[in-house]
Amino acid sequence: MSNKMLTLMMGFVAFLILAVGVVFVIALAGGGDDDNATPAEGGKSTPKAGASSGKICEGNVLYVPGGEPNSLLDPIQVGDVETSEYIEEIFGGLVTLDRELNVQPDIAKSWDVSNGGKTYTFKLRDNVVFHNNKRVTSADVKYSIERAADPTNASPTVLAYLGNIVGVRDRFANKATSVSGVKVIDETTIQVDLVEPADFFISELTYPVSFIVDKEQVEKNPRNWTQKPNGTGPFKLAEFTPAEKIRLVRNDRYHLGPAKLDEVVFELGGGSLLTRYENNELHVGAFPASLLDAVKGGSNPLSKDYRAVPELATYYFNLNSAQAPFDDPKVRQAFAMSIDREQINNVLFYNALRVADGFLPPDMPGYSEAVTSYKYDPTKAKQLIQESKYAGKLPRITLSYSGAGGTPGDLLVAIQKGWEDSLGVTVQLQAIDSSAFLREQRQGKFQMLSDGWSADYPDPENFLGKLFASDSPLNYSRYKNADVDALLQQGRRETDRTKRYTLYTQAEQKIVDDASIIPLFWPVNYQVVKPCVKDYPSPSMTIPKYRYISIDPKAK
Amino acid sequence: MAPGLFGYTVRRLLWAIPVLFVISVAVFYMLRLAPGDPVDAILQKNYQEEQAAALRKKYGYDQPIHIQYIKYMKNLAQGDLGISTRHRDFTASEVILPKIWVSTRIGFMALVITFAIGIPVGVYAAMARGTFLDPLTISSWLALDAVPAFVLIPVLQWLFGLKLGIVGLGYEGVWSSHMVLPVLILSLPGVAGVARLMRASVVGVLHEDYVRTARAKGLRERTVIITHITRNAMMPMVTVIGLSLPGITAGALFTEQLFGIPGIGQESLAAALAPDFDVILALVLFGSFLFVMANVLIDVLYSLIDPRIRVGAGRGG
Amino acid sequence: MAVAATADDLYAAGPIAAPRRFRMLRNLLRKKLAVLAIAYLLVFYSAGIFAPLVAPHDPNAQELTVDARRQGPSAEHLFGTDALGRDLFSRVIFAARTTILFTLVVIVTGGLVLGLGLGLLAGYRGGWVDTAIMRVGEVLGGVPTLILMLAITASFRGRINDLSFWLEDHTFLGSDAKTLVKFTIIVGATTPFAWIGSSRIVRGQALSIRESSFVTAAEAMGASTWRIVSRHILPGVMPLFIVGLSASMAGIAGSEVALSYLGLGIDPPGASFGNLISDAGFVRTFEQYPHLLLASSLPVILFFYAWNLLGDALVDLFEPRTHTQR
Repeated sequence: MSNKMLTLMMGFVAFLILAVGVVFVIALAGGGDDDNATPAEGGKSTPKAGASSGKICEGNVLYVPGGEPNSLLDPIQVGDVETSEYIEEIFGGLVTLDRELNVQPDIAKSWDVSNGGKTYTFKLRDNVVFHNNKRVTSADVKYSIERAADPTNASPTVLAYLGNIVGVRDRFANKATSVSGVKVIDETTIQVDLVEPADFFISELTYPVSFIVDKEQVEKNPRNWTQKPNGTGPFKLAEFTPAEKIRLVRNDRYHLGPAKLDEVVFELGGGSLLTRYENNELHVGAFPASLLDAVKGGSNPLSKDYRAVPELATYYFNLNSAQAPFDDPKVRQAFAMSIDREQINNVLFYNALRVADGFLPPDMPGYSEAVTSYKYDPTKAKQLIQESKYAGKLPRITLSYSGAGGTPGDLLVAIQKGWEDSLGVTVQLQAIDSSAFLREQRQGKFQMLSDGWSADYPDPENFLGKLFASDSPLNYSRYKNADVDALLQQGRRETDRTKRYTLYTQAEQKIVDDASIIPLFWPVNYQVVKPCVKDYPSPSMTIPKYRYISIDPKAK
Repeated sequence: MAPGLFGYTVRRLLWAIPVLFVISVAVFYMLRLAPGDPVDAILQKNYQEEQAAALRKKYGYDQPIHIQYIKYMKNLAQGDLGISTRHRDFTASEVILPKIWVSTRIGFMALVITFAIGIPVGVYAAMARGTFLDPLTISSWLALDAVPAFVLIPVLQWLFGLKLGIVGLGYEGVWSSHMVLPVLILSLPGVAGVARLMRASVVGVLHEDYVRTARAKGLRERTVIITHITRNAMMPMVTVIGLSLPGITAGALFTEQLFGIPGIGQESLAAALAPDFDVILALVLFGSFLFVMANVLIDVLYSLIDPRIRVGAGRGG
Repeated sequence: MAVAATADDLYAAGPIAAPRRFRMLRNLLRKKLAVLAIAYLLVFYSAGIFAPLVAPHDPNAQELTVDARRQGPSAEHLFGTDALGRDLFSRVIFAARTTILFTLVVIVTGGLVLGLGLGLLAGYRGGWVDTAIMRVGEVLGGVPTLILMLAITASFRGRINDLSFWLEDHTFLGSDAKTLVKFTIIVGATTPFAWIGSSRIVRGQALSIRESSFVTAAEAMGASTWRIVSRHILPGVMPLFIVGLSASMAGIAGSEVALSYLGLGIDPPGASFGNLISDAGFVRTFEQYPHLLLASSLPVILFFYAWNLLGDALVDLFEPRTHTQR
């Protein structure tokens, strides 16, 4: 072997060993030994942030992280938040939500409610066009709703959101060839009849399943039309490269006023979002709670970009009141009282979540501060167990959570330990893959599960009626309280909004008191947004939002 | 191609058919009998019996399983891999092919680097036999082999991405500087194994007659090493390279996850968890088929390189 | 019973007689790195086996206060604490126990013996048995086992629970019962697909011994198949198999770490290196709390490294010419 080759290889090996050594030395020396050092540590590593942020702020294109769509971009197929984000921008319906989550006219310009709340008559705007400039008429609305109800399309969401329209269930069961409750009166007037009056029906129409599609395009190319969908929304789909990017361009003829941005680019590739944000690859970044201290710390340049975005959602435990030991309300209450949510929020979430005092999240219309949930009181909890019929013989509890393939987070481990210590009960955590989790939940095959619910439309009915009415298919905890059923029934039918909300508040307090669910937290997302991004809305649910945004190159 | 070779290859491939059949039936039934199915995953909390029935009908899950299987196989024969339910309603090929392509390119680069470093290191270690440099070389590469990718990745990301700011961390396509770290992380841990085998192999031929003859003829040492020793020691490498080939199309789960690379490794895990029936089955069949192909390829290559080895005869290793 | 090695290839080292084995042990101990590796493995295994006695704290005891979370190393907490204020040193020790349990399950369930047995069978019997075993193995080897494992564990979940509760209440296994049952299912679901590699090696070796003159002679003298296999072929294959075993120990332990990292292994709050690493193993977390990743990964990295070195040293010893020169 030649000496040259030998030296070369030795050199390489030496370099490698050195490199590994250096990494560990730097890591050990640079890493602070205590928490106090961390904000500075976060700051040190970001010398470039701000320095060259000019580049993405100069154009009129917004770069944001995006989720991979779970379905084709078809409004009647979408069921997840990631895909809804794109659907909401590309398509539109009769009504939409504004940034404060109020229902606003979209394709409809106004509507009347008659027949005791059972008939909705929509008057359409006459200047609404599809992306290809074809006018939208009431026939398009009827077609879109009938297409959603067509059983061959098997929309997963049509019954949940449009099931109250007369004839939708019949069409879905193939007992009819059209939806009898949707009637075209003239080109700009359409009438919708409901099975029973529901004040929240107008909110349900903000969900994508009733959004307007172009009959001509769909029928011409039923398989591939979603590659270039002809919607009515503020943006058009320009490019969709799976797992890489989705690019939306402005619809200049948008009837509610065209967007200010030229384009929105959703980067679907993962990687560390915060790092990409710092490297000026993205206008918006997201990060986990554990980094909150580091990002918010005053010395970190990111701290001024930070914002908390509350979610219209609730984390909770579902206790199966059909199974021992949770058939005894005292046991349920004892479990609720032995979770120290304040402490957990402080230690594990850096106080970033909101402890759920009730079930409805604060941003929900109809939210009432008067509702209270059980406070942490381990002494009282122990006493309740003693008074219950399971005193001294509490069985082993299994707490199931969704997601084999992810650690449950420290939250469940902390709560489990808390129960074991204060109630002397054995609790085991069990991960179940999500589809089996949903099925077992539906079949009532669980003792206790960790769950969450996020709003599909902003109305208390979506939380309380869906989850706790004894006849609701989503009432997995088999909760049944005649008073609550009566209140929810009245709430569904009441047309006076203030009265409705009072009814829901009463129902909510009873539900929380019965403790068949234990509300834990109202979640919050953590974001950083570049200062040059103006009017970036932070709504607590998915709404069409990109048309409000502009980029100001001067604000860096 | 030698006359017997073609028939042999065909026989080998024919063997795969019954085994693939059994695997496909087993996977097909297992998926459908397990608790939780795509319909649960699609409907989530919107589950209502009518909706579930409509979806089962749409995807054919309402049929008895053997009918579903026959239908699947009929479609497969026409090159139709079925429908993805996790990426509803993209076809299974639309979902997996681009991702396999991403993983394969990255995996191939890594494989080339592994062997490009591993082979010379092995030769070097063999030549340095008897000195401390031999064990030092191998054991330093072994150290790298002992670090799991999911430990190495955050450390290197931090060092090169955050501290030094040399490389970006997001995915921007395969041919970008962002892929330097992932490719290195995929290639370097494998070097030790290749080097070790190469070293053993070189040691094996070191004292063969032709090497001694070459030296006796007074050929330069470098010529001896390269043309006589290394070339003959490459034989066992053929097996290793061949067996590594199907692996690169399977993707690298951790590297893909931590670098946000849209590869097939991530998709496999997600499909298994979803579950996404047709995608899972396509991946299983694809994986087994490639593995068989690689094995056949090695045997054929062997017989071409070294005519003394008759194909079909018992061969160790 | 001296038999010349037929080839210099590692896979063709000849059968080794009993006295030589002791000499090999002596040779092994002469290598400094190997001795270090053995010493480390001894520490690792004894820490894991006697975890409840060795660990300074209860690995699940939490201290939910801002000051106690993610502390750096101190006299009280040698490796610091995690996000829940649990003592990381104790959790690492219990993670070693989890690793050991997994290896134990792999060995007991015969995951390794399957390759040996099928390889012997294929090599000795030859003919269609050989062809069938090899061809089936080739196809099975390509099946992505992770997918199958998930499906199988999902199907048996209910029964897994019942069984592990029963074992926990009625046997001495106690809290390890659940881990053992879960691991058994995982290993049982993956081994039918993973034997082709080791059986190829064993088969090749068995083939070359079978064709050697002493086996032919024994057959001519009318020795039974069992006798030939157990007295002649098995002893010849064993050393090679042991080398393969020591080389694959790191791989076996590694697969447990990887599974737990994905959240598919041991259930929380149980400790496994995979869980510990996944809690700490993101670039930002590493930046803020490097001790979490370093403390929870270095012990297991050294464990893998020790097995690798040991395997390497063993390979060396079986390579005739190298070791005679040393």
